[in-house]
Amino acid sequence: MANFNIDAVKERTFQAIVIGSGLSGSWAAKELTEHGVKTLVIERGRDVKHIKDYPTTSMLPYEFEHRGQLTQEIQKENPIVSRCYAFREDAAHFFVKDNEHPYVQEKPFDWIRGYQVGGKSLLWARQVQRWSDFDFEGPARDGFAVDWPIRYRDIAPWYSHVEKFAGVSGNKDGLASLPDGEFLPGFPLNVVEEYFQGKLKEHYGDERHMILARCAHITGNFDYYAQQGRAKCQSRNLCQRGCPFGGYFSANSSTIPWAEKTGNMTLRTDAVVHSIIYDEEKGIATGVRVIDAHTKEMEEYYADVIFVNAAALNTNLILLNSTSNRFPNGLGNDSGLLGKYVAFHNYRAGISAQYEGHLEYTTQGGRPTSGYFPRFRNLKKQETDFLRGYAAGFGANRGSYADQNGIGMELKENLLNPDKYGPWNIGSHMMGETIPKESNYVALDPNQKDPFGMPQLKINVDYDDNDEKMIKDYLEQMTEMFEKAGFTNIKTRDDKRAPGLDIHEMGGVRMGKDPKTSLLNGNHQLHAVPNVYVTDGASMTSTSTQNPSLTYMAFAARAAHHAMNLPII
Amino acid sequence: MKRRDALRSLALITGGLVLVPSCDFSKEDILSAYQNLQITPSLQQLLKEIAGTIIPGGDIKSAAEIEVQDFILVMVNDCIDAGGHKSFMQGLQGFEDFSKKSGGSAFSKLDQAGRKAVVKAALEVEVATDAKPEDPQKATKEFIAMAKRFTIQGFMMSEYIQTQVKPYSLIPGDYQGAVLISDLKHERING
Repeated sequence: MANFNIDAVKERTFQAIVIGSGLSGSWAAKELTEHGVKTLVIERGRDVKHIKDYPTTSMLPYEFEHRGQLTQEIQKENPIVSRCYAFREDAAHFFVKDNEHPYVQEKPFDWIRGYQVGGKSLLWARQVQRWSDFDFEGPARDGFAVDWPIRYRDIAPWYSHVEKFAGVSGNKDGLASLPDGEFLPGFPLNVVEEYFQGKLKEHYGDERHMILARCAHITGNFDYYAQQGRAKCQSRNLCQRGCPFGGYFSANSSTIPWAEKTGNMTLRTDAVVHSIIYDEEKGIATGVRVIDAHTKEMEEYYADVIFVNAAALNTNLILLNSTSNRFPNGLGNDSGLLGKYVAFHNYRAGISAQYEGHLEYTTQGGRPTSGYFPRFRNLKKQETDFLRGYAAGFGANRGSYADQNGIGMELKENLLNPDKYGPWNIGSHMMGETIPKESNYVALDPNQKDPFGMPQLKINVDYDDNDEKMIKDYLEQMTEMFEKAGFTNIKTRDDKRAPGLDIHEMGGVRMGKDPKTSLLNGNHQLHAVPNVYVTDGASMTSTSTQNPSLTYMAFAARAAHHAMNLPII
Repeated sequence: MKRRDALRSLALITGGLVLVPSCDFSKEDILSAYQNLQITPSLQQLLKEIAGTIIPGGDIKSAAEIEVQDFILVMVNDCIDAGGHKSFMQGLQGFEDFSKKSGGSAFSKLDQAGRKAVVKAALEVEVATDAKPEDPQKATKEFIAMAKRFTIQGFMMSEYIQTQVKPYSLIPGDYQGAVLISDLKHERING
């Protein structure tokens, strides 16, 4: 390693380093820089500037050579990422290809990644549901994992803080299981979704609800968002391309440019973090070693505080690879639990149906969200033979289509004048909580290296009996609710997808009260190295059912303020 | 897009070749743009005529007039697996024979009604459930199904349709969840 002279060290010294420029890292960077902290943000991928680097954002359908479809060649070369619904011709450039960063699947695991400034915040489904104490108290009540060191009251003000800035559209539903937040006007449910809401009320009273899913889209308070250069969501539903309006929250449109504007952020792209430097004398971390993605040269950067926000599994990888005499098995890993208790969301099951009512209606326009079932199973007490429960998406759709039978002028006229209407199509998909277990882990492969010379991550994560029972219950309960609503042609499915494709992998560096059974304390600091904070998915003690991104953002903002010794805003 | 332009130029260059009276496909160049297929200019022309039969001309241009065959070939070449390439090629190469048997003449010699009857017959071919992959009937049916599917896609998702006939907007407007179908007024587009 190079010996730096004092000036070079000075140039490479910051007050804070944030590893990762995605959803959670960009929030840490925004909070730190806004309060005057000189911050280096390290990103392993290339820079993606808002609008300028969204090459497909305004392309019309006919401008895509394959009209959105990916070629056989690309799919064959990339079996893993090809299974992701958004890996298509318009957004493939924002996904990591299979051979760019190989890993070892001890059990099948689809690791979907976005290596660029903004990370997966460009690609996410933008669903932002708050957790409640039904979630934070889950492990303690049901006797799994360890107790969360925090409760809803600790995180609630931070949810509000990030919701206001990111922009969240939704309705105040008054549900204890899914607390209300700082909402901009909600998108409408359609006539059949409202009909279904009524049927649930009729049959289940106040026990089950289907509401509008809250999403990170701007639908009001426009002057406020104009300060970020963002405008009203235009319902294009092309979010994965990057939004020229900044209509949805991404690091690229919001937090990163905001941090940049303070003058306190330095962005180092194309730098793969190798490890965190630990100073045995001082007993703290003093910096970060990175590998230049192009030259493969090793460089060092120094800071007083380090935020690790590399996305859940890469955060594990970095900490596992940060070894020293004091921490031979990874930074802060006194408990031996680093990399263990990895969990995810069970997305295997879904259901479809048709509805022959309200046939005089259709819908028009676009909507970047859909309906949502907050968890009702085992919510207030244990009531089934499996632990925890599931949330679910819900949607009813209807539009005109063309009769494509025949050929010649008849076909042509039909295609140009699509005026057929079928029944309403109804769909739901499951989002199940999984139970973190020691046997679901990630570790460093002792032999295989990636193209940067880093050990490959070995992933050993699988479903268990609890997940199987939950799938069965979801399908039974949904079928029952669909039948009670008069839906027909009900079809259930279990697509047996591998874990990972939910893109909600979590844990490995879990929070807890006791250093013997957890890695992080209630402020997201490594118990053993308090100037290292982890606030992305790796920090999750349990998974709950809600899409986790909002919670990561709130965690990052809260931890950044803790690092700056600032009181709760 | 680049490839499509290249193909157009190639078509211009090889245009002379097509006019040379010859029935021997083997003496023709293979279009190098479709590396997974063996497409000669004659086969490309035949595919164009088939596309123009599936969606013929009128007030609005035909699929052939907007060169949908190029799109079909790009899609089959790039987005279909090896088994699909085989049946597509076999069906396309055998289509003149099928036309002679079913319509009594080479496809290009038939009038519009005759061509329509042949394509319709190909779509309706009955294939035995235990047919082998190389069965010509099966290949004809698979070929024509692919040709029809990509003709429809290529036509409806063409620049011509999406800019001049039914202008496409990237901004669909605010969501309305209860629109009475009886209130919708569509201007009829005549083909």
